[in-house]
Amino acid sequence: MTPNEPSAYTAEETAIIRKRQAGRSRVMGVALVGLCILFFLITVVKVGVWG
Amino acid sequence: MTTATRDIILPAEWRDFWALTKPRVMSLVVFTALCGLLAAPGNIHPVIGFTAILCLALGAGACGALNQYFEADIDAKMARTAGRPLPAGRMDRVAALNFGIGLAAFSVGIMGVAVNWLCAGLLAFSIFFYAIVYTIWLKPNTPQNIVIGGAAGAFPPVIGWAAVTGDVTLMPVLLFAIIFLWTPPHFWSLALFMKTDYGAAGIPMLPNVKGQRITRNQIFGYSFPMAATAILPFALAETGWVYGAAAIVLNLLFLALAYRVWKNEATDAAAMKPEKQLFAFSILYLFLLFAIFAFDRMLIL
Repeated sequence: MTPNEPSAYTAEETAIIRKRQAGRSRVMGVALVGLCILFFLITVVKVGVWG
Repeated sequence: MTTATRDIILPAEWRDFWALTKPRVMSLVVFTALCGLLAAPGNIHPVIGFTAILCLALGAGACGALNQYFEADIDAKMARTAGRPLPAGRMDRVAALNFGIGLAAFSVGIMGVAVNWLCAGLLAFSIFFYAIVYTIWLKPNTPQNIVIGGAAGAFPPVIGWAAVTGDVTLMPVLLFAIIFLWTPPHFWSLALFMKTDYGAAGIPMLPNVKGQRITRNQIFGYSFPMAATAILPFALAETGWVYGAAAIVLNLLFLALAYRVWKNEATDAAAMKPEKQLFAFSILYLFLLFAIFAFDRMLIL
């Protein structure tokens, strides 16, 4: 994708872009936290900390 | 729409990335894989079992994304798929490709490190088979596309089983065979009443290439080896009576519906009630058969 220059967007489009970016960031944040927990648990299981 | 009157592309919403993974197909993949995992002899740590299923779901999502990337032009021609993110213009194609490749690499890598490399290899092969062999090569070129391509959808229970045992024996091969033989009657019954849609997109589905009579013969014909294979785990004493009785009843129902399809001579989609009933029942059939299989195996193990 060729990124459009920020000045190419109208105020309405900029608002849509910000809203979508915020939504994607929230989902990415939740996914990363979930993966951190999962990787921690996998490590614990593989290392055998809990027997 | 992302494109306004000017030629600009707005970033896609997270919901479009979610739609790219074909969540409904993913649910069937997760379900059959979970059944394979629960039915396998031996134990698996719940965290590793969850990771195996998660990787399978992500791998299925990668297949969906890559499939939609390669088929964006075809999807735009069919009413059923025209609303997907790429043909609807809500997403950039390169974003879909990157998302698919990323999901595929991530799911295979985590599967290998956390579960075992046999599962990772099977997952990598099934993604390759679906995204490349089926989507690019088979689907646009041969009416046997869903027969051979059905192998990709048959891998999940094998991977679920191998996550527990670390190997592939006769039982997971039978689970593979059940889905493999179920795929033609399932998709061809859909293709019969969606013939116009597939024809408009130029996909050589069997009804478009060989006609409806041959398709109906094939549906009925495939139903017999499918039924025999589904009953085989019970015949080999690998399951108890619960599965045995359920498999006999479900397969008799399947055969009865396939017989009605075989006898039907309708050429208009509106008169294809038996085909629609078989398609709907085939989904329920697979869910019930695998659920009862897993339940029965858990009882006897």
